[in-house]
Amino acid sequence: MTGEAFSADRSLAELRLLHLADSALPIGGLAHSFGLESLVSANLLGTADLSGFLHGHIEEAGLLEGVFCRAASHLAREDQGQLDVSRWLEINDCLSARKPARESRVGSGSLGRNFLAAVRAVSGFPLLHEALQASRQSASLIHHSVAFGLASGALGLGEECAVLAFLHQSTASLVSACQRLLPLGQSQATSILWNLKPAMIETANRSASFSIESVCAFTPLLDWGAMEHPALSTRLFIS
Amino acid sequence: MKTIAHTAANQERLAEADLASSFSPGRVRASLQLEFQFDRLVGRTHLVASHQEPPLRVVRAFAHDDGAALVHLHNVSGGLLGGDHLSLFAAVGPKARVQVTTTGATRIYRPREGVAAAVQSNEITVGEGALLEYVPDPLIPFAGARLSQRTTIHLAPGAGLFWWEILAPGREARGEVFEYERLEMKTDITATGRLIAAERIGLEPKNRSLSSLARLGPYRTWATFYICREGLQPAFWLDLEQHLREVALSMQQGSQPRAPQGVLWGISTLLAHGLAIRCAAVHGRDVFSGLHALWLAAKLRLYGRAPVLPRKVN
Repeated sequence: MTGEAFSADRSLAELRLLHLADSALPIGGLAHSFGLESLVSANLLGTADLSGFLHGHIEEAGLLEGVFCRAASHLAREDQGQLDVSRWLEINDCLSARKPARESRVGSGSLGRNFLAAVRAVSGFPLLHEALQASRQSASLIHHSVAFGLASGALGLGEECAVLAFLHQSTASLVSACQRLLPLGQSQATSILWNLKPAMIETANRSASFSIESVCAFTPLLDWGAMEHPALSTRLFIS
Repeated sequence: MKTIAHTAANQERLAEADLASSFSPGRVRASLQLEFQFDRLVGRTHLVASHQEPPLRVVRAFAHDDGAALVHLHNVSGGLLGGDHLSLFAAVGPKARVQVTTTGATRIYRPREGVAAAVQSNEITVGEGALLEYVPDPLIPFAGARLSQRTTIHLAPGAGLFWWEILAPGREARGEVFEYERLEMKTDITATGRLIAAERIGLEPKNRSLSSLARLGPYRTWATFYICREGLQPAFWLDLEQHLREVALSMQQGSQPRAPQGVLWGISTLLAHGLAIRCAAVHGRDVFSGLHALWLAAKLRLYGRAPVLPRKVN
């Protein structure tokens, strides 16, 4: 392959990743707050706190999802023509067990399945078809970060790239949710997301140091928010 | 009382513990192995075997009126010191019912310079139709403390579990809050071989503030509580989740609406076979009373009888 051809392939893969990380991708991402709605409702989270909250969120929940995203990307890149089905199911099942709040767990599973189905439809990658089929047969959830990692790996992109794109996409979704929950204008939202990029890079780097078995996350208020979301009398979001 | 036979898995863990602690000057390596069996003739659970190494001790098993056995875990050294590697192995036999509690809070002391973190490992099996209620006092990490705790719990068909952990911020009365160095707690619960809950927390308050709203925010004490019974259908757990939420809500009556509460209780069904409860509280005293209320409500629904509260809270 010539350098020019490689560059074109690489550019195409990166453009596709941008597409997959766009919040406009129709997988249902705008319908979930993953517990933020409860925190706002309980007056625990306000506009002034948002930047610090999201920074901590990236360090904890972002690290957890980043490690699982990385593991799935690695799985795709190691693919020798056939998906390692048991590893694929193991990664997803481990992440399911790490999510104690039902709504967040199911929400992540819904986004992941929709994401993988959407990417399979446009790309035709056999790996994604195998993954969807295996999870359906075992009634196992497909988490968003794991699906994102697998698709990025199938595109031939590196693990670091996959984790960074996922962290950016998921944080942007939370900022978008906060714009509907809080008095948060476009300029302020843009500024918050802009300033969080170094935290995403640091977390993506840290995610290389952990396995899905060892990575830790401590998000008690978010867990509470997600667990108590079903009890809110008025809800904008599914989770 | 006969000495419990070391299983291959236990021997392997002890060997690992020995290897890990061999690098730690001033270490204590000890294990406590307990085996409980249900006696069908008298309808009671007995502690049939134990292997005890100081500082871990169980003096005896007491009989509850409902036939369950109650044991108090003692750490005669008063807490965990740097370099300690303590292991608890408990096997609850088929149909046995056991309550395990502690005689007081577990203190995690500051290690001497150059000494490894304290290590506590718990390996628990709950047999077919058996029940384990593990309801200890809080962990209190002192300034500079380092702890690594690893817990694995295996539930057989029909096995039940009430399991909580309470983490205090430190010695609050001395103004010592979040001054420990590092705490790592790993917990896995499997039901008939399937992983239904996995918890991994790693806290380094000096590097990543626990007062971040993504972590504890204005709260200081944290607790986690698992309620499981293998084999019950998802609809049962959804119903119990709602019931316990109402119990938690009743504990919060009187607090100002729309104002952050002094204690938060989050309740949710697990993947299968159980519930997870998370608590964050400004004051540790609110945690114990809340856990007891939820334990009572859940046990009545699951087993048709109230739990026997440890005497220290009666």
